[in-house]
Amino acid sequence: MKKPKVGIFDFACCEGCQLQIANIGEDVLDVLGSIDVVEWREVMSEKWGKNLDIAIVEGSITNPHAVKRIQRIRKKAKILIAYGSCATIGGVNGMKNNFNLDDIRKYVYGDSYRFFPTEMTKAVHQTVKVDYFVNGCPVYIPEFVAVLKAVLQGVPYYVPDYPVCVECKLNENVCMYDRKVTCLGPVTRAGCNAWCINNGNICYGCRGMVSNPNEKGAQDVLAKYKIPMDLILNKMNMYNKCRELG
Amino acid sequence: MEDLQYVILKRERFHDFISRLSKMQKLVAPVSKGYHHFAFEEVTSGNEIALSYIPTILPLKKFFMPQRETLLEFKTAKGTYAEPVVEYEPMTIFGAHTCDLAGIQCLNMVFSERPKDYNYLTRKNKITLIGLECNAYCDEHASCHLVNASFPSGGYDLFFTDLEDYFIVHVNTQTGDEIIDIIKSFEKADMSHIKELKRLRDNKSKIFSNEVSIERRHIPELFDMSFRARVWKALEERCLACGNCTNVCPTCYCFDIRDELELNLKRGVRYRVWDSCQLEPFARVAGGINFRKERSARQRHRYYRKFRYPVDRFSRFFCTGCGRCTRTCMAGISLKETLNELIKESEDRVWKKWL
Ligand code: SF4
Ligand code: SF4
Ligand code: SF4
Ligand code: SF4
Ligand code: SF4
Repeated sequence: MKKPKVGIFDFACCEGCQLQIANIGEDVLDVLGSIDVVEWREVMSEKWGKNLDIAIVEGSITNPHAVKRIQRIRKKAKILIAYGSCATIGGVNGMKNNFNLDDIRKYVYGDSYRFFPTEMTKAVHQTVKVDYFVNGCPVYIPEFVAVLKAVLQGVPYYVPDYPVCVECKLNENVCMYDRKVTCLGPVTRAGCNAWCINNGNICYGCRGMVSNPNEKGAQDVLAKYKIPMDLILNKMNMYNKCRELG
Repeated sequence: MEDLQYVILKRERFHDFISRLSKMQKLVAPVSKGYHHFAFEEVTSGNEIALSYIPTILPLKKFFMPQRETLLEFKTAKGTYAEPVVEYEPMTIFGAHTCDLAGIQCLNMVFSERPKDYNYLTRKNKITLIGLECNAYCDEHASCHLVNASFPSGGYDLFFTDLEDYFIVHVNTQTGDEIIDIIKSFEKADMSHIKELKRLRDNKSKIFSNEVSIERRHIPELFDMSFRARVWKALEERCLACGNCTNVCPTCYCFDIRDELELNLKRGVRYRVWDSCQLEPFARVAGGINFRKERSARQRHRYYRKFRYPVDRFSRFFCTGCGRCTRTCMAGISLKETLNELIKESEDRVWKKWL
C-alpha cells in the first residue's frame, strides 16, 4: 500500500498539539512510518501545494483569511482531520465570542485595529466539512493513533459520546466531588482515559461536551457544592463557547 | 455449627499470616485511598490492609472481568489466522465482605449460562476468595440485609470473622483447607470460640434489619406495579448519565466488544471493555435511533435489572445492597431513597383505589 501524503496545518492555536507528535514515544516510528509528511510548517521549509490524502488541521478559524485558507486546504485534501480542541470545538479561542468584536480588536491592536479584520471564533467543522476529530487540549496521543488507524483502514472513528467519569471510574480514582472539588468530567466527552484526574487534576472539559449533556443537572450538582453560578458558566465556557454557533 | 470446620487465627499472628499468604501467590486486599475511599490492591504485608473499610470504589468484578480484556488475536492477510486468548493470573483476594461475595455469586451464574464464557470461568477458577465479616453496618447507604447479603452464605474458600483477640475462620473448600495446612498459623476452634461467634451473630441480628420498609418477597410485586411511576420521571432532571452507578456495581456485567489493528494493519486484537446502560450510545442503533433516549428510562432499566428481571431468570436479586451506586452518585441519587419513594407511590395508588 502506498503511504498517504499528509500535510499538517495550523490556524489560531498555541501549536501545542503539534508538539504532542514529538511526545508519541515508542510509537513515533510506526506512526511516521505509516504516513508520508509532505508539508509541516513547524518542522520543514518545503511547501507541497499539490493534492493531499490527509490534511491534519490544528487551530480555530478566527478571521477572513483563515476562512479562505481552510477552504483551499479542504479542496486539496481527500480527508481532513480536525486536530486539538481549538480545531474540534473552538477551544479557548472561543472566549473571544463573549465580547463585542470591535472592542476586542481595539484592545489587541490599538489604533490600527481597522487593518485587522476578525470574525467570531469557529471550530473547523463550523466552516468546512471535517472527516475525523481528535479532541483534547492537548490531544491525547493514544487517541490520535486510534484515529490514524481508522483513517488508514478507511473506517469511521467514533469519539466516545459518554462522559470522562466512565474512564475515571475504570481507573478507580477517588472522585473529585468526594474531595470537595468540582470537576467537569460528568458533561465532558471521554476518550482521554481521564488523563487529568489520573494525575490528580480536575477535568476542565477540554474535549467538548457529550451530545446530550444534562446541563441543568450538572449545574444543580455544582450548586450543591456551593459554587457561584457565573463561575460554573465560566468553567463550562472556557473550552465550549463555540457550541452556541451550532 | 459444630459439624462445620472452624479454625482460629490469633490476632498477633495476623501479619505473619498475610505475609506468608502473599508469598504463595499474588494477594489483593482492601487498602485506603484517602478521603474515606478504599480499593482492592496488591499487598505484601498486613500493615497495608484496611481491616475496617467501607465497600471499595470498584467491586471485585475488576478481577473477574477486567475493565479491558483481550479475547482474540488475528492477522488480516489471506488464509485468516485467529487465535483465542484467555488472560488470567492466579490470585488470592482477602477481605471480601458478604455483599461482594454475593456479587461474585451473581456473576458466576451469568457467565455459566450457555454459551459459557470461558474467559470468565477460567479466570474465576484461578482466584481464591477469603471473606471478612461485617460485625456492624459499613455506613448508612448499605441495604445488604434487604437482599439477604448481610450474613455469610457460601461463595468463599475461607471466611474470617473478627472476634478481637482472634479471628474465627470457616474453612469452606479444599483450597481453603490447603491454605490452612500450608501456612500453619491456625489452631483448632473449640466450643468456646464457636459460642462467641454465635453471640456475635445474635447481636448482628439485632443491628441488621431491612433498610427499606418492605418485605423481601414483596419487592418483585412492587416493581410489577411501578413501571410508570412518577419516581422515574423525577430522575430525568437529576441523573447526569455518567455511568458511575453501573461501573461500581458488583453485578453489572455489560460489555462492548471492539477490534483494534496495529498501525501496519497486518495484525490486530479483539477485546472487550465494560459498557453501561446509563450511557447515551448504549441503546443507540443503526439509523441513529435510541430506544432508551431518556435518562429516566435508563435509570428505571437499571433498577429493574437489579430487582425484577433477574428474579425470573436466576431466582435472586442482582442487588447486593453494597451501597456503591449511592455513594458514587454526585447527583445524590440514592438506591434506598428510590425504593422508599416507589413504596410510597404504590401505597398512594392502593389508597386511591379504596377511596
Ligand atoms: S473525578 Fe470527575 S471525571 Fe472522575 S468520576 Fe468524579 S466527576 Fe467524574
Ligand atoms: S480529563 Fe478533561 S480536561 Fe483532562 S484531557 Fe480529559 S477531557 Fe481534557
Ligand atoms: S451515578 Fe448518578 S448521575 Fe451517574 S448515571 Fe448513575 S444515577 Fe446518573
Ligand atoms: S445496585 Fe447499588 S447497592 Fe445494589 S449492588 Fe449495585 S451498586 Fe450495590
Ligand atoms: S453493605 Fe453490608 S455486607 Fe456490604 S460492607 Fe456494608 S455492611 Fe458489609
